[in-house]
Amino acid sequence: MVAIIEKRDLRDFDWLTTVLAIAIASFGIWQIHNALPADSYWTKQIIGLGIALFAFFVIAFSDYRRIIDLAPFFYGFGLLLLALVLTPLGVEVNGQQAWLKLPIIGQFQPSEFVKIPTVLMLAKYFGQKKHGALTLREVAIGAAILGGPVGLIMLEPDAGQAMTYFPILAAVFFLSAIKIRYVIGGLLLTAIMVPAAYMIGVKTGKIKKYQQERINAIIDPESVDPRGYGYHTIQSIITVGKGGLSGIKGETETSQSVLKFLPEPQTDFIFAVTAENTGFIGCISLLLAYALLLSRLVSGARESNERPGMLVIMSFATALVFQIFINIGMALGFLPVIGVPLPLMSAGLSALLTTFCAIGFVVSIRMRRFVN
Amino acid sequence: MKKLNEYTQNVPLRIITIQVVAFVLLTILGVRLYYLQIVQGEYWSGRAENQRVRFIPIPAPRGAIFDRNGKILVDSRPTYNVVISNEPLKKIDVSDRVPEYSKGLNLEPDFVVERLNLIKKQNEFETLVLKESATMQDIAWVESHGLEFPELRVELQPQRFYPYGTTLAHVLGYVGEISPKQLESETYKSKGFRPGDIIGKGGLEQSYDEFLRGRPGYRKVIVDSRGRVQSEIEVVQPQAGQDLISTIDLDVQLAAEQQLANSVTKRGAIIAMDPNSGELLALASAPSYDPNIFVQGSKTPEGRKQIAAYWQDEKRPLFNRAIQGKYPPGSTWKIPESMGALQQGVITVQNSNMVCGGGIQIGSKFTRCMGSHGAPPLSYAITKSCDGYYYRLALKMKVEGLIQMIETFDFDKRSGIDIPNEKVSETPKSWKPIIEKREGRWSDIRTVYAAIGQDTVVVTPISLLRAVASIGEHGKMYVPHFLKEFKPIGAVGEEGSTSYFPERPGFGFDHPEPKQVPMTDEQYELMVKGMWGVVQGGGTAGSIRIAGFDIAGKTGTAQVASLGKDVGGKKDHAWFVSFAPAYKPEIAVIALIENVGFGGSHAAPAARGVYEAYIAKRYNGVPPADATVEPKLVAKR
Repeated sequence: MVAIIEKRDLRDFDWLTTVLAIAIASFGIWQIHNALPADSYWTKQIIGLGIALFAFFVIAFSDYRRIIDLAPFFYGFGLLLLALVLTPLGVEVNGQQAWLKLPIIGQFQPSEFVKIPTVLMLAKYFGQKKHGALTLREVAIGAAILGGPVGLIMLEPDAGQAMTYFPILAAVFFLSAIKIRYVIGGLLLTAIMVPAAYMIGVKTGKIKKYQQERINAIIDPESVDPRGYGYHTIQSIITVGKGGLSGIKGETETSQSVLKFLPEPQTDFIFAVTAENTGFIGCISLLLAYALLLSRLVSGARESNERPGMLVIMSFATALVFQIFINIGMALGFLPVIGVPLPLMSAGLSALLTTFCAIGFVVSIRMRRFVN
Repeated sequence: MKKLNEYTQNVPLRIITIQVVAFVLLTILGVRLYYLQIVQGEYWSGRAENQRVRFIPIPAPRGAIFDRNGKILVDSRPTYNVVISNEPLKKIDVSDRVPEYSKGLNLEPDFVVERLNLIKKQNEFETLVLKESATMQDIAWVESHGLEFPELRVELQPQRFYPYGTTLAHVLGYVGEISPKQLESETYKSKGFRPGDIIGKGGLEQSYDEFLRGRPGYRKVIVDSRGRVQSEIEVVQPQAGQDLISTIDLDVQLAAEQQLANSVTKRGAIIAMDPNSGELLALASAPSYDPNIFVQGSKTPEGRKQIAAYWQDEKRPLFNRAIQGKYPPGSTWKIPESMGALQQGVITVQNSNMVCGGGIQIGSKFTRCMGSHGAPPLSYAITKSCDGYYYRLALKMKVEGLIQMIETFDFDKRSGIDIPNEKVSETPKSWKPIIEKREGRWSDIRTVYAAIGQDTVVVTPISLLRAVASIGEHGKMYVPHFLKEFKPIGAVGEEGSTSYFPERPGFGFDHPEPKQVPMTDEQYELMVKGMWGVVQGGGTAGSIRIAGFDIAGKTGTAQVASLGKDVGGKKDHAWFVSFAPAYKPEIAVIALIENVGFGGSHAAPAARGVYEAYIAKRYNGVPPADATVEPKLVAKR
């Protein structure tokens, strides 16, 4: 798959996107260090970044079109991994069987990686589309492609991960000429259904007590029992607010994460750590970096001369924005606590590797924009 | 490019739409970030500080209490408490902790539930004692379960210890956690007491609490979310409380308690006092209780059972008979009464004779005397305890005269002893308005009964001792007290700093001026002569005579039920009130034995036991040469 790197490749290589992604990941490693200086998460993340960069360059210099041609094979392999998670090979952590432990390779989270073949599969199918509005048949096939991995992930169960798949499908539909009235209808339906589903869920007892409390915690974190499930939300808000304009300036011994007030600081709440350590200035810089990265992706999509490439980039971009918004919204206390990592920042090889692979595709697509 | 721009798909516009939505979402995050960090930053920063900074009190040792010879009566010894902090508990269901704690620490499940409920109600980051006086096993259990139960911690806590147990319990009192009721009262609130503070309850522990109490220090520390100390910011050392030297003589005290223990009913009170100053050498009330039970036991089921048993005991061990008990004084009442009659001129030193008559007829009722004494002078009437004499004397004094005497000898007041909850005696002064309201008038028969310390007269032993002891002191009535001196304690910390505790100076008992009862030398001679005769002159307490150590005293046998009736089980109270040596008193002793019979045969020997202990201690068993007088002074009829 690896093509011989030509001079032209280096000329057209998207260095800005690459540097931006590496910069955010490095900033993330610094924050992981701030979160728990005594633990080895940050050194592991450095190694993870090295592995991720290797994968990134391999994909970036490959011809993405051939990979998309092989999408069904990757997709099938992804489903197999997700199925293996549910077998005794899977590892249970915090009541979720989301990890797979294999000899030599070690432990990883297939639900992260499978996003890539899912996107490729969708791009392969919807990339053929040439004329007319989205048909019901197309919707059904799209839903089926997504339904495979999402169904298996829900069995783990990992609702947070499963949720991150839906924006991919939404983006693909939106870019495949779904009629605007369906989009508006869908938005309206969501606006009605979400509160309605919550009410019914509470009434029928389908939504558990702790889930209710997590939702109440974001509506009014001060009045919720701080000893209960509102604890994570209120501690995250405290940590973010404490950062102020420019952060705590190296006083990590008494930081919220070192004193263990902030739960999961190296993963779910890495943004709160960033906010505490670098303040408003650091956080806004990070948001701007994300915005810039997104702009690069979107411009790559616009410049792409092939539908499948455009769909791959926009799917990844949408998934990225969605994850950023859910994760930071949770850290800022206005979205419920859901275990979604912050792309490029949270500790964890699976997520980092997946994100860099995705960006590798983007760079590969961009590099070939002048081909043909 | 061209084919993507078809009208039906309009892809570029759709891509831009996604981009705009993405930027709007990022902007929402930025705005929220601005609100939390810039607008509310200081507030959240304060919240973060509050939850990580903790003040851990360092208990201050409470001052010890010594007897007058430096023997330790109360001190504090180090004990370990298992304390529970609420923070690690807030996220979990504590019900599974109950069996674990009760098994690991050997506690009653009900008690564990109670404590857990209490700690849950406390403010964030508070701690509470789960088990006091933890054993080595308890400590080992807590240490080895640190990961499972991060909420538990072992803390050093000096605990009050009463080495002599029941001895002196009523004088010393005990210490315990401040009660919710006390916390709400102004006296404690204004001094900044907090739940869980240890305060003196009863006795010297209560009355001198603010001097015995040390000033606790604290450690200002950084803790993690489980309340575990990470680092220390500041230490403020505590200042120990001041040591109290009491007037108690432990040997005399032990003798007094031994006398009560040896008595038939084992109920009563004995007080020994230096009549020259009011210093109390001994104060015993039987039955007694063990203050250690209150200190250690209030947290254990057995201890609480024992405390409940103390409260329910019909013999009332918690009741300090010496200052709270009110008893008819019987014939001991004749001493202040005689003095009152002399002062009021009802009788004179030259002519103090009154008819005995074997009793007196009031209306249809004849109240008799125990003997037939003719018309004796005062000293003989005292020596032989002639009731007939006093019936007539009191009728001559009238109830008004009795009331004047009561006021002279402070029977209408507290003695002012420096331990709390002293009761005031009841006398014709307090009863007359009630009787007159109820019966229309104060009848002569009540005066006759009051003459011999019955009916409307019930007095506390301390008030009676104070009055009678003043006779030997030519009328000087001192305030009885236990405080000899408080030792000073040095300053702690650097002067000018917030953690500075200044030096606390030593001080002695602040003696009020003694009350002077008017008394001529002749009146004094006559009174002491009668009282001397009670022991040395063939009087009612002749059996307790100590060779070489003359005692001036008066017996009393107080009827418990209505006068003149045989009441079977409810036997008379036995009294003996005295001072010695008769003409140069060093010590005054009162003994009261409840429901036992004659004063001369029960109370007087008890007083003698105390005198013997005193002589043994003070004079190595050999009384001083000038402690006796010639027998020519024996009172004659």
